[in-house]
Amino acid sequence: MDFAESEEHELLRSATGEIARRFGHDYFVQQARSSGSSGELWQAIADQGFLGAHLPEAYGGGGGGISELTIVCEETATQGCPLLLILVSAAICAELIARFGTDGQKAAWLPGLVAGEKMAFAITEPDAGSNSHRLGTTARRDGDLYVLKGTKTFISGVDEASRLLVVTRTGTDEESGRGRLSLFVVDADAPGLTRQRIPVEMTIPEKQFTLFFDDVEVPADRLLGQEHEGLRVVFHGLNPERITGAAIGNGIGRYALAKAAAYANDRSVWGVPIATHQGIAHPLATAKVELELARLMTAKAAWLHDHDPGSAAAGEAANMAKYAAAEAALHCLDVAIQTHGGNGMTTEFGLADLWGLARLLRIAPVSREMILNFVAGHSLGLAKSY
Amino acid sequence: MAMNVVVCVKQIPDPAAPSSLDPGTKTLNRSGKLILDDSDSYGVEMALQLAGNVEGSEVTLVSMAPGGEVSGLRTALAMGAARAILVSDDSLAGSDALSTAKVLAAAIRRAEPDLVIAATESTDGYTGTLPVQVAELLGLPSVTFAKSVATDGRNLKVERQTEAGYDEVECPLPAVVTVTAGVVEPRYPSFKGIMAAKSKPVETLTVSDLGLDASQVGWAGARQEITDVSEAEARSAGEVVVDEGDGAERIVAFLEQVKVV
Repeated sequence: MDFAESEEHELLRSATGEIARRFGHDYFVQQARSSGSSGELWQAIADQGFLGAHLPEAYGGGGGGISELTIVCEETATQGCPLLLILVSAAICAELIARFGTDGQKAAWLPGLVAGEKMAFAITEPDAGSNSHRLGTTARRDGDLYVLKGTKTFISGVDEASRLLVVTRTGTDEESGRGRLSLFVVDADAPGLTRQRIPVEMTIPEKQFTLFFDDVEVPADRLLGQEHEGLRVVFHGLNPERITGAAIGNGIGRYALAKAAAYANDRSVWGVPIATHQGIAHPLATAKVELELARLMTAKAAWLHDHDPGSAAAGEAANMAKYAAAEAALHCLDVAIQTHGGNGMTTEFGLADLWGLARLLRIAPVSREMILNFVAGHSLGLAKSY
Repeated sequence: MAMNVVVCVKQIPDPAAPSSLDPGTKTLNRSGKLILDDSDSYGVEMALQLAGNVEGSEVTLVSMAPGGEVSGLRTALAMGAARAILVSDDSLAGSDALSTAKVLAAAIRRAEPDLVIAATESTDGYTGTLPVQVAELLGLPSVTFAKSVATDGRNLKVERQTEAGYDEVECPLPAVVTVTAGVVEPRYPSFKGIMAAKSKPVETLTVSDLGLDASQVGWAGARQEITDVSEAEARSAGEVVVDEGDGAERIVAFLEQVKVV
């Protein structure tokens, strides 16, 4: 067993960190508050090939794995610039196209995604949140076309994306009543596709949308993977999403603790730095332990995904990493704010504005409760209620 | 004409981390991990651009560091340098600038350079004397403080930064040139560059490999001695000016006073 970080990973960490530091948290917040996008930072990361680190070299990718993409996610977040769309565009969409796409599809979409194009992922619906079996958005075959109809909600970054990967129902399994799913790559400006912004209390540049598919026609060659076999396809994207989601949480945790440690060493109220008070030091140390445990599980999950994708071990580790990282991110941010006292809530100190995103990580990409269900059922063999 | 460009790169303790002096030797503690001196990244970039202009050209890094340290070299290799020569030897501890120049000159000579690029000074030692010493030892012309470098493979054209502006200097190759931080914007390593860096050759040499004697280098060969070190004076708090509508004028007045405008 070897826990030493490789030279390549160290270099990727430092290079990503340096690029993100050039932009910094103030840029990130400014973009969020002005309804801008993370576009310049995103492009700078893409220009180095970092957003395609995990994609095949034949299509312009780096030939690495989710382990490398995880580093990119964590290091940008560590500089106060968590990039939510890496989860969506790189970890899910590009990963699934690389795994399930035809040669033509890979050649058509992967080079663009490596170069910084964005693809949104549309799965969740108003009436089928975490239950993909109940999806109601349908795709009906009509000659050389599929016609999509239905509603998707909480879809990130649609306004910045050139295309969307949409999960639809193409049939129903008669025995189980569960949906037979199929995935389509749909142009973001396809006729019949409209969107409505969902105002959310998160200070991030990416916006959330409800999407309305009103007989959106999609050529049949936009089908990704086998028709009706979409659930299997989707499952392959979930682990990378959870692992990179964990990495964002870990990065937020590191960002928060670094700020808190600097402040605690600097701030002196009773003649000594407040860091010397155990009431300040121990909560920060506890959060640090939790953060490092989460990072360890995240690295393990990424390694397992890269070595044995789709394995039970990779799924378990990805879920546990996501759980641990979301909890650690919130805890780190909470103690960092507490360490700062009133300053913790100011705009200037750049902590409280991250609360919305950190809190989201307890809900998405998969909720804490669904992970606990998974661990209870799969890891412990406990009887299921659903 | 294809060129062999050598860049002198120093691997230094991370300036962002707290540094310390060894109380016994009064020299910088270098026992931790070392990274590429940021001031050398400009030279690496300059070399890559000059080499990139001419097919068949190559950039070789030359460094002297304790403990076989290659972390900083890997960064420059990931940026695009082709190979590196590292001189690492216990007997080099305590080397002064001239001893270091002797070692680097011997290593550079092996690379048969058309052009040698160095930073004007390192970020940890700041003597700023090494590049010209290297040039003298190699018997090459040296041009310092370049803010712009161009070459046709035979001659070097340099805009040399001065207090008043810049001089236009030309000299024949091979030559040694020192570049300022403004010369070019260093690239970040690409993902492919990072993955390729590990397999690029790093030749590690000892003092005797270079045909030098241990008595010429390190503490034994040093002609300078650090007799004393003292704490830097704490910086004063500065003057706080409250803007009462005249902020802009006060700033201009201050800048005029220090002759910036």
